[in-house]
Amino acid sequence: MAHQAHSYHMVDPSPWPILGATAALLTTSGLIMWFHFNTSYLLALGLLSMLLVMLQWWRDIVRESTFQGHHTPTVQKDLRYGMILFITSEAFFFLGFFWAFLHSSLAPTPELGGQWPPSGINPLNPLEVPLLNTAILLASGVTVTWAHHSITESNRKQAIQALALTILLGFYFTALQATEYYEAPFSIADGVYGSTFFVATGFHGLHVIIGSSFLSVCLLRLIKFHFTSNHHFGFEAAAWYWHFVDVIWLFLYMTIYWWGS
Amino acid sequence: MFVCPVAAFLAENLRQISQRTISTASRRQIENRIAEKQKFFQEENGIPVHLKGGVMDVLLYRATMAISVFGTAYVVYELLVASMPKKQK
Repeated sequence: MAHQAHSYHMVDPSPWPILGATAALLTTSGLIMWFHFNTSYLLALGLLSMLLVMLQWWRDIVRESTFQGHHTPTVQKDLRYGMILFITSEAFFFLGFFWAFLHSSLAPTPELGGQWPPSGINPLNPLEVPLLNTAILLASGVTVTWAHHSITESNRKQAIQALALTILLGFYFTALQATEYYEAPFSIADGVYGSTFFVATGFHGLHVIIGSSFLSVCLLRLIKFHFTSNHHFGFEAAAWYWHFVDVIWLFLYMTIYWWGS
Repeated sequence: MFVCPVAAFLAENLRQISQRTISTASRRQIENRIAEKQKFFQEENGIPVHLKGGVMDVLLYRATMAISVFGTAYVVYELLVASMPKKQK
């Protein structure tokens, strides 16, 4: 029986890449149908197929690594590069929205009243819920690091506790942000202030939800003994992503919430 | 959804990898079934990994494929409709 003479992973043929592409097609076309023709069936199909592809593709990666042993150190190194490149691309994504905010806020036009925040806008007090949210995310960065140390030290109980606490803090942040959105005296339609505020914080909130989901999957895997003390890259990737989300929030807080009020 | 089983685990002594005494608690314990999974997924049966788990894999795959094919056909249809001029009186 032939075995490979190299340390790379030659994957089985898989339908997920092309089905992921069709999911993207359906989702983007669905957005157009929703915006222009007010029907959301295609968008629903797109999001559903996207969810199905993600679940099955990542399920297969868990099988290939934990159950089939294909993730050699070489493969793990390349996965690390990949995750770092992905997070870097996300950093550039947010950079664009920060640029948009600074473009409008550094030189406010006469239409805004020549000031920032614009006339008529009552910004949120940065020392109230936003400050609490900052503390929550910083604490969650500590707990996820605690979880990592527990994993490397083979302390199962503490690892589970710390990771669970991290996820709870993430949910708490999301819940508080949701109430802030509901109670805010301005909306996304309130000029460039509303646009920049809700698009930047909104995409950040989406990334908190994504990060919390990633961490939740890691918690499930941790409970099911998937991770060893020196091989747990899925968890490390989730922790990197979570720290990234935290850093983005710190920039949001300092620029939009604090300086921008 | 993951909080409840976690809460159960937080409350009990789990068997540690470092060979502590086994708890006599009668509460539910997760067992380490990795070896079984490894044996199952390493069986040389020629089935690709995305179908190797069994019937559920096949059903999920077919459902995903059906949605994607139908959706793509629908997109092409809507594109054709949107690109035709609407009759104006």
